[in-house]
Amino acid sequence: MNIQNNYQKNKKNIFFSNNKDVQNHREKLLNIFENDRFDKKNNESLKNINLKNFIDFDYKYLIPEEISVINNNQENSYSIVSVNGQCSTFKDDKIEITKILDEDYNDFSKNDTIENNDHFVNLNSLFLNSGFKIVIKKNNNIKIKISNIITDDDLTIFQKNNYICEEGSSLNLIEEYENKNNSSSNILNVIKLEKNSQLNHFLIQDNSPNHNLIITSHSSCKKDSTYTQKVYNFSEGYVRNFHYSELIEANSEADLQGIFFLKDNNTSNNKTFVKHLAEDCKSNQIYKGILNDSSKATYFSNTHVDQVAQKTEGYQLSKGILLSDNASYFSKPELKIYADDVKCSHGSTIGPIDENAIFYLRSRGMSKIAATKILISSFINEELSSIDDEQMAEIIQKKLVRYLSKVK
Amino acid sequence: MNSETLNTLNSYSKNKYKYGFVTEIDDEKPKKGLNEDTIKFISQKKNEPEWMLDWRLKAYSKWKKMKEPKWANLSFPEIDYQDIYYYSAPKGFEKKPKDLSEVDPKLIDTYNKLGIPLEEQKVLAGVAVDVVFDSVSVATTYKGELEKLGIIFCSIGEAIQKHPNLIKKYLGSVIPPGDHSFSALNSAVFTDGSFVYIPEGVKCPMELSTYFRINAENTGQFERTLIIADKGSYVSYLEGCTAPKRDDNQLHAANVELIALEDAEIKYSTVQNWYPGDEDGKGGIYNFVTKRGLCEGKNSKISWTQVETGSAITWKYPSCILKGDNSIGEFYSVAITNNFQQADTGTKMTHIGKNTKSKIISKGISLGKSQNTYRGEVSFLRKADKARNYTQCDSLLVGNQCGAHTVPYIDSKNNTAVIEHEASTSKINEDQLYYCRQRGLSHEEAVSLIVNGFCKQVLQELPMEFAVEAQKLVSISLEGSVG
Repeated sequence: MNIQNNYQKNKKNIFFSNNKDVQNHREKLLNIFENDRFDKKNNESLKNINLKNFIDFDYKYLIPEEISVINNNQENSYSIVSVNGQCSTFKDDKIEITKILDEDYNDFSKNDTIENNDHFVNLNSLFLNSGFKIVIKKNNNIKIKISNIITDDDLTIFQKNNYICEEGSSLNLIEEYENKNNSSSNILNVIKLEKNSQLNHFLIQDNSPNHNLIITSHSSCKKDSTYTQKVYNFSEGYVRNFHYSELIEANSEADLQGIFFLKDNNTSNNKTFVKHLAEDCKSNQIYKGILNDSSKATYFSNTHVDQVAQKTEGYQLSKGILLSDNASYFSKPELKIYADDVKCSHGSTIGPIDENAIFYLRSRGMSKIAATKILISSFINEELSSIDDEQMAEIIQKKLVRYLSKVK
Repeated sequence: MNSETLNTLNSYSKNKYKYGFVTEIDDEKPKKGLNEDTIKFISQKKNEPEWMLDWRLKAYSKWKKMKEPKWANLSFPEIDYQDIYYYSAPKGFEKKPKDLSEVDPKLIDTYNKLGIPLEEQKVLAGVAVDVVFDSVSVATTYKGELEKLGIIFCSIGEAIQKHPNLIKKYLGSVIPPGDHSFSALNSAVFTDGSFVYIPEGVKCPMELSTYFRINAENTGQFERTLIIADKGSYVSYLEGCTAPKRDDNQLHAANVELIALEDAEIKYSTVQNWYPGDEDGKGGIYNFVTKRGLCEGKNSKISWTQVETGSAITWKYPSCILKGDNSIGEFYSVAITNNFQQADTGTKMTHIGKNTKSKIISKGISLGKSQNTYRGEVSFLRKADKARNYTQCDSLLVGNQCGAHTVPYIDSKNNTAVIEHEASTSKINEDQLYYCRQRGLSHEEAVSLIVNGFCKQVLQELPMEFAVEAQKLVSISLEGSVG
């Protein structure tokens, strides 16, 4: 069923359908879809995507019967189970979890960092059917773990979450996406960091081949705040990781990192975009990918430095290892710089595993497969060893071992 | 230019042209606008055979259906293709300054700084005098030598008449007319350009340059150059001139095709210094150039070197298709933009054959309110086993109102190919500046020295006589914007 029909038929079940402003915005979006029919040729962010899954889909959403649970067993530590993208409300003196409201819908549509032609963000706004809002209150230091569960097959989740870190707060956020059923999620995270706050955001993605995950985030950092994001993509299904960051006040920092492990016919599209809009800000964008079999990946990174953003430091790094003849990797590390007192650079490499290193290990009696596995592990060791959380490090280590066991 | 050449030029310029003048004034005034009649007119004027006209008309019909490529980071008013002369106006039709005193003194100043002889200055400034040295006669001396070796070096118009087989085989084989709208436009209306054929096993003994070719003065705005290097041959070709050149044509859309067969090598060097417009960004040339080289045979090599300092808009991506096994593609570029100039330049390396190698060194310098973009694509196709690429693109920003952008596209479909890309953007190092100033250099001199050092890696790839002039040119381009 096409987008227009899907929308008209399910209008009632979509969030905020009664709000006039929202409705008007959605009419506009429908027009965009009418006029720009996912033009693959002129829109490189659609590269390698099997569009059929996203244009002709059957909209289906179920309001979860089981209510999600919020656990607060340890002090300053919360674990949340979000069911079909929904979460029950919760409030104490440190955090507040609520449903998203009409007014949260619009705070994003006016932002121009995400281009108008990002169809997947537009789809998210159009079919919005779930989401929650988490506020971390002033000067608190807490840890949250969110497990995302989808109850039934064929569900299409369009979720929007708002995270707000108030002044001086610090949050460790771990999100798990481990769906085994045949469904798809389109998630948009809008993150706001107030003065002197900090957010460490981990995303662990490990879905089955039938699950499509589209995840987009937009973070904005105020004075002295730091946003760190680490994505670990072990999914066997399609994943799109698009992450945008805006450094809007001085001395803020954004760090967007990711590793992806692909095999079989899987594809993954990745994008990071950092916009420097104030002085003395720093950014890092580092993505590493390992591609086996016939997998395909793209990575777009972009550093935009505004004219006022003097003393900027912005670095990008992209590394890809191709393990098989049929794998392909496309990377486009972009710099757009309008200020002169800056230090910006990017580096990008794509290639096979270093033959000399393999030779070295083999001459010491190791089999070729064992040598390959050791070298892959060392390729991403830096990222893995930087994980402070022991429990999480263990989880990721296990997933890595599972991936390596399939490498021949 | 070496001293030998200068001597020859001087000796010829002293003598009056013995054989009298043929000043042809066309009866027909050139018509503005692009349509089939214009193309027929051009073809007829150039006495072209039927098949050439058909080729042009086919390209025109393709152009009609095409839109200008819009992806470049450039902004300019829409080009009105119907408001352009497609056949250069006959002599006497243009308004030419009568002597050097009528020429912009700033321009003369620049000529002097570059050390260009007076007679040459007149040619470059387009002065309508009788005794301008005649490149015809200079060319003939060289022509004899080239002919002995079997090298064909003539205008493309002449080649269409005399070497139709080569033209039929190779013209449009690297840049098909339907590639994009500017290539289609050029294919439909090109009027001049060079044709070079180097026979098997011949190493061309001198740097070939448009400068020595007949009619070099009117290279025209739609230039078409075709260079074919047969098996085992070598040629080095120079295009352009370090001296700023006035031109009434706003739009330039040249096409350059290179073909290197087995074991052949082509080195193509460009210095582009067209009129960039004034300090307020008014006027200036739009330079939309398509340059593409095909390494057809095994072990062939194509090397592009460019110094881009002129034009209001530069849209230029000299690229290499590395088809033959073990072939090599190189790209060295310096792009300097000042005032309101915009440059979107880079390269495209397509690795098709095994063991193909490419190297890209790009240096961009932005000053004033200019925008400078490097845009490059490196792609390894499935069969490009053990292919190798190294890319380095550095940008330097002088002043806080300019922009420097880097947009590389990297695509690998082969797991034995290795690709490395690095880029950096920064301003001039304060420490270096301090060091130079401490030793008595003025601020401007210090900046010029540092920038020259920044570009050295590229400038040293230029042929000797070009390199010296290019260094001066870099310094001149920086003038007035530093401090």
